[in-house]
Amino acid sequence: MRKRIASYVIVSLLLVVTIVYSATTGSIKMEFFEFFGALFEQGNSQMEAVRDLRFPRMIVALFAGAALSVSGVLLQSVMRNPLADAGIIGISSGAAFVQLFIISFFPALFFMTPLFAFMGGAFACFLVFALSWKSGLSPLKLILVGIAINAMFTGLTEAFISFGGSLNVSASSVIGSNLTMRTWSDVSTIATYGTIGLVLAFALYSWCNLLVLQDKTAKSIGFHVARARLLIAAVAVLLAAISVVVAGVISFVGLLVPHIARRLVGYDHKVLIPFTALLGALIILLADTLGRTIVAPLEIPASTLMAIIGGPFLIFLLRKE
Amino acid sequence: MEMKRIIVSHDNINNHLDDVSTSISKGKVTTIIGPNGCGKSTLLSVLSRSNIPTSGTASLENRDLVMFKPKEFAKKLAIVYQQNEVPKDLTIEKLVGFGRLPHKTLLQRNQEEDRKAIDWALSVTNLTDKRHNDLEALSGGERQRVWIAMALAQQSEILCLDEPTTYLDIYYQIELLELVKSLNEDYGLTIVMVLHDINQAIRYSDEIIMMKNGRIIAEGRPREVITKDVIKEVYGVNAVFKEDDELGLYMMSLGI
Repeated sequence: MRKRIASYVIVSLLLVVTIVYSATTGSIKMEFFEFFGALFEQGNSQMEAVRDLRFPRMIVALFAGAALSVSGVLLQSVMRNPLADAGIIGISSGAAFVQLFIISFFPALFFMTPLFAFMGGAFACFLVFALSWKSGLSPLKLILVGIAINAMFTGLTEAFISFGGSLNVSASSVIGSNLTMRTWSDVSTIATYGTIGLVLAFALYSWCNLLVLQDKTAKSIGFHVARARLLIAAVAVLLAAISVVVAGVISFVGLLVPHIARRLVGYDHKVLIPFTALLGALIILLADTLGRTIVAPLEIPASTLMAIIGGPFLIFLLRKE
Repeated sequence: MEMKRIIVSHDNINNHLDDVSTSISKGKVTTIIGPNGCGKSTLLSVLSRSNIPTSGTASLENRDLVMFKPKEFAKKLAIVYQQNEVPKDLTIEKLVGFGRLPHKTLLQRNQEEDRKAIDWALSVTNLTDKRHNDLEALSGGERQRVWIAMALAQQSEILCLDEPTTYLDIYYQIELLELVKSLNEDYGLTIVMVLHDINQAIRYSDEIIMMKNGRIIAEGRPREVITKDVIKEVYGVNAVFKEDDELGLYMMSLGI
């Protein structure tokens, strides 16, 4: 119990520190007190630039981190598989491909991209489920199927971009993730759908807890296993898809963060889901801030940093299995 | 519970249950026995609704089992399976609390009643002292009791047990069967279980259902069902029966 409280307090503090550091560091540098002074006054030109460019980017990073991490928790619960992550098993790339496809051919439907991304992610999720169901969702089989699905959608996306150079799509933002040039309209998209997804995820915590039981036992106490799986997976896909729409594909967050979170606060989803959201927000904001400061004026995308850390971590987990 | 002309076939070629009709008496201990693959677990799975029969009807209180809603049925009947994966980082109390699910609705939960039911389930299974322990730290016998406690928290009238003693040492086998006996005698639960050991079945059952090849060979009181001829027919084993003043009837197998 004390470990839980301590973990919450420390991560919250780190989050605040990182937010302040991130807001004051970069191509425009501000002193801490100067920043706070400027925060509440109009007309400071430096502060206007920060407000227009840096704040949206930070908020997008926070929401994307929280959404992807919680999406990982939900997928791991629903697939009863510690290795599930929206990026690794192809949900994100499925969302990215369908989104790209729709806005290339039907640009008028641009405002509905979250919906199409959701459908693409749901389709990929369905494929992974259907193809690894027979093996009883064994962790390794599921990962292999997922990697294949991911490769397929990533390949389709790349092919699409090379064919359609004339289609006038900013494709690089779809394949990789780059958080530069985010706007307040991006913020409002991810804040709206992200909040909905996170609230729904928390509302489902008792179902996530019940899914540790084997199906036959869960059924015997009157639990609708299939219905619970479907709904939890849908929320997981929503969270992953909305991150893809606004921040691009970032893999491994959904794997890394829930694992660390379980170590710190345990397996009860009532505590785990909010904590994972906090920790995920912290990690992605940190990755993005480091990415734009350590080799400035160049930038390393947060997704690249996550892949560099996440790859070895996945190998470590696979060896433990 | 009534079963009428039940046929279960998983592959549409072989019948795992072949035209089985029987009834389970309320307030009694009924044990299903028979050799491996005789359909005893399948029969239990039909009773507990985890298997829907290919044809025939299983009913409880004159209602077809498929007509019950999941939670409604879980309030009538609880089942403990033979082997259960043990979840990580879960206390006994929390797991037993899962058994309260059928009594909860989205908006309504009676925490006082939940607490009473959980306390009762833990005390009957002698786990009260360990309620805050993690499941992973328990012995095989204790784990089996935890799963029974979860089923008891459902507060159903019928409790099914699928080979509850199979993976246990003899001490824990007896402990478990005594628990089952007291659940029946002291709390009036109807018990339906599958056992391997014939002598345990004789000793702890009011009624026996003897099966072979998906059919019921004999059923009734232990003394009527378990005879030299039936054992020879069902198991292909020659046996003698002795009567002991304290133990009652018991069987020794001689050879094949």
